[in-house]
Amino acid sequence: MTETGKGMTLIVKTVTRITVGFILVYGIYIVLHGHLSPGGGFAGGLIIALSFIHLMLAFGKDVALKRVSESVADLFESIGALLFLCIAVIGFAAGYFLLNFFADKGAPFALFSAGTIPLYNIAISLKVGAGLFAVFVALVLLKTRSKGTE
Amino acid sequence: MVYLLSLVLLAVGLYCVLVKRNLIKIVLGIIIMEYAVNLIFIMFGYRTDGRAPILSESQEITNMVDPLPQAVVLTAIVIGLATTALMVAIAVRLYDRYGTFDITKIRRLRG
Repeated sequence: MTETGKGMTLIVKTVTRITVGFILVYGIYIVLHGHLSPGGGFAGGLIIALSFIHLMLAFGKDVALKRVSESVADLFESIGALLFLCIAVIGFAAGYFLLNFFADKGAPFALFSAGTIPLYNIAISLKVGAGLFAVFVALVLLKTRSKGTE
Repeated sequence: MVYLLSLVLLAVGLYCVLVKRNLIKIVLGIIIMEYAVNLIFIMFGYRTDGRAPILSESQEITNMVDPLPQAVVLTAIVIGLATTALMVAIAVRLYDRYGTFDITKIRRLRG
């Protein structure tokens, strides 16, 4: 991350540089533990999106858009929805829609025990994270674009 | 008695929507009303001395609160996020067209 002069003060930038990775990792933890503890795809995806929004607020929109541009966010949002649908349709191969096909019984409190539920959580987190980031980017670009035309 | 808190919160939001002229304050009023409704749903599901309905290792749960209103409120929060984003986007568009957030000045709809 280079100093561009845009964005907030040096204090905010330094704190952001330290914390933004932790926020992202915490979001991924919430997603992957969604079937065992409170949280899951929506909450974890929200935290992942907030880490990128944090980056954008501190460093200005160019730095964040260089990492995840608006077309990439759009792509990930579509991938999330399609991934959810694909996993749900694969259930037909063994029986019925949304069938949890490779978990026999599941063991409580074990991380790899829930069959397709963590995969659904990952799909939801992609959809929610990319979608929320895209909403934020859309509002920011709308504001700057309308300022440019006047 | 404790439901009065939710009623007060709803009244604050309704006051904000009906009396304020700034579009952003109206959006905030709608959000406050939404949270008042969420709060009363959560309170309906509460049981005295109940704990969170989360299974955890080496603990037996005998008395838990009702998880159904919590699921409803989670869905309501998601929908609230989407409607808030829509309202803010409309407010931003109105600001570029009229240069103000005052709803009494936004009246050039005809023509």
